[in-house]
Amino acid sequence: MNVHDWALITFTILVQMSVGSMWVLGAVHFFSARKYGMEEADRMSDRALLAIVPVIALGFLASLLHLGDPFNAPRAVTNITNSWLSREIFFGVVFAGLAVVFAFMQWRKLGSFGQRNVVAWLSALAGLVLVLSMSMVYMLPSQPAWNSWNTPISFFTTTFLLGVMAMGAALVANFVYEKRKNTGKTTNQLEILRATLRWISIAAIVLLGIHLIALPLYMVTLAAGSKAGLATVQLLAGSFGWYLGLRVAFLVIGAGVFAMFLYRYALSAGEEKTLSTLAYAAFVMVLAAEVLGRFMFYAAHVRIGI
Amino acid sequence: MAKQKAFYFDASACIGCKACQIACKDKHDLPLGVRWRRVFEYGGGSWVEQNGVKVPSSLFSSYLSTACQHCESPVCRDVCPVQAITKREDGIVILDSEKCIGCRYCEWACPYSAPQFNEETKAMTKCHFCYDLQAQGLNPACVDACVMRCLDYGELDELRAKYGDLNEIEPLPTNEITNPALVITPHKHSQKSGEGTGRILNLEEEV
Repeated sequence: MNVHDWALITFTILVQMSVGSMWVLGAVHFFSARKYGMEEADRMSDRALLAIVPVIALGFLASLLHLGDPFNAPRAVTNITNSWLSREIFFGVVFAGLAVVFAFMQWRKLGSFGQRNVVAWLSALAGLVLVLSMSMVYMLPSQPAWNSWNTPISFFTTTFLLGVMAMGAALVANFVYEKRKNTGKTTNQLEILRATLRWISIAAIVLLGIHLIALPLYMVTLAAGSKAGLATVQLLAGSFGWYLGLRVAFLVIGAGVFAMFLYRYALSAGEEKTLSTLAYAAFVMVLAAEVLGRFMFYAAHVRIGI
Repeated sequence: MAKQKAFYFDASACIGCKACQIACKDKHDLPLGVRWRRVFEYGGGSWVEQNGVKVPSSLFSSYLSTACQHCESPVCRDVCPVQAITKREDGIVILDSEKCIGCRYCEWACPYSAPQFNEETKAMTKCHFCYDLQAQGLNPACVDACVMRCLDYGELDELRAKYGDLNEIEPLPTNEITNPALVITPHKHSQKSGEGTGRILNLEEEV
């Protein structure tokens, strides 16, 4: 394992988490505004939105570390007509730019709600195209382990799973802060938080299901597809067996067991302490699982040829 | 048909001396680990017990000298985000290390390991068919160094007319990914790409 791979793991994980978070936060804001009004919705999600900015920045900083000559990186969009890597960088910049602009507008309440909404939508849509481009980067015919339906499926599942878990933790942290600061009544905030955490738990369990169905299907089709594919499966089941086992365990604990408890404790009020512990723990578990998964993605691909 | 320079390799004559590999390394002054031309020993088979003695059965091995295939559909060129890789009018695929940002994406895409990373300059490099020598009417360094005369080069259609159109033997990948500009005369033990029963026997060599 080297700097090159860790740079890519950090970049893809953080950027996918940011895209997922934008969508989750958008949904949380939309539904809470409808029921409790704009002010409560902003109070709920504004800080979490700002928290996405450094995550995006860190992700892009990491992406530069995988280059031999980072100072020439701006030229990397020049082959946008042929190269998915150029497209990934282009949509990455568009997503990051719009997300940061939106976060700033929302923070300072610049422009009308309608204008901010347009920027938010554009940023979220650019995020989806970005994750699609990210998957297409790996669809290389000489890389059977990557050139599979599994790449876009797992990238998108990771995007939304990290999004829900990260935002679950961020919204809980925001609530704890609001309560400690005593900025006013937090009854509505708690209501929104509990409803959100219930939805987050359900989403996490569904996404976990997709991961758990995709993994064995992927390994079976890959092993049957080509010699290089079989070699990857042998690596995953052999020398990377522990990593794979840990990844599945962390996923099941974080997005399964903890998510179920999260759902249960979010049903009734007065469990804020347990809720926050569960939300943080679930996020850490899922993050660790996704980092492990991405680590294997880069470490166990076997290319066709010499 | 557009002009397309191509290498020819005679697997039936190669003795695996690696003079081509060293001539290439010397001519381009390549650092440790970078080998634009490489020689692989590919073999397989097993031993069986006969009257209490182990004897070879179906053992086979042969050599393959290979460089960049200057493919007709160079995937390295297509994926390069900074357009550092281009195909010249004569079909030679060249890489401009000055333009390269060292993302190593071409390394993932090429099934021949033609683009290779230079740790010192932090940029990719690759075989450019000694276009500098060719411009002076000279042969590529590897071709001239071959003591068995099993390397040749020229226009792809002429080489095909002369030697046939085989361009995929083990351990090379099948030709459908990049359409390599390569012509091979097989060894009697050569196996078709994708149908091999052996393995590369000299993977640990590093010069």
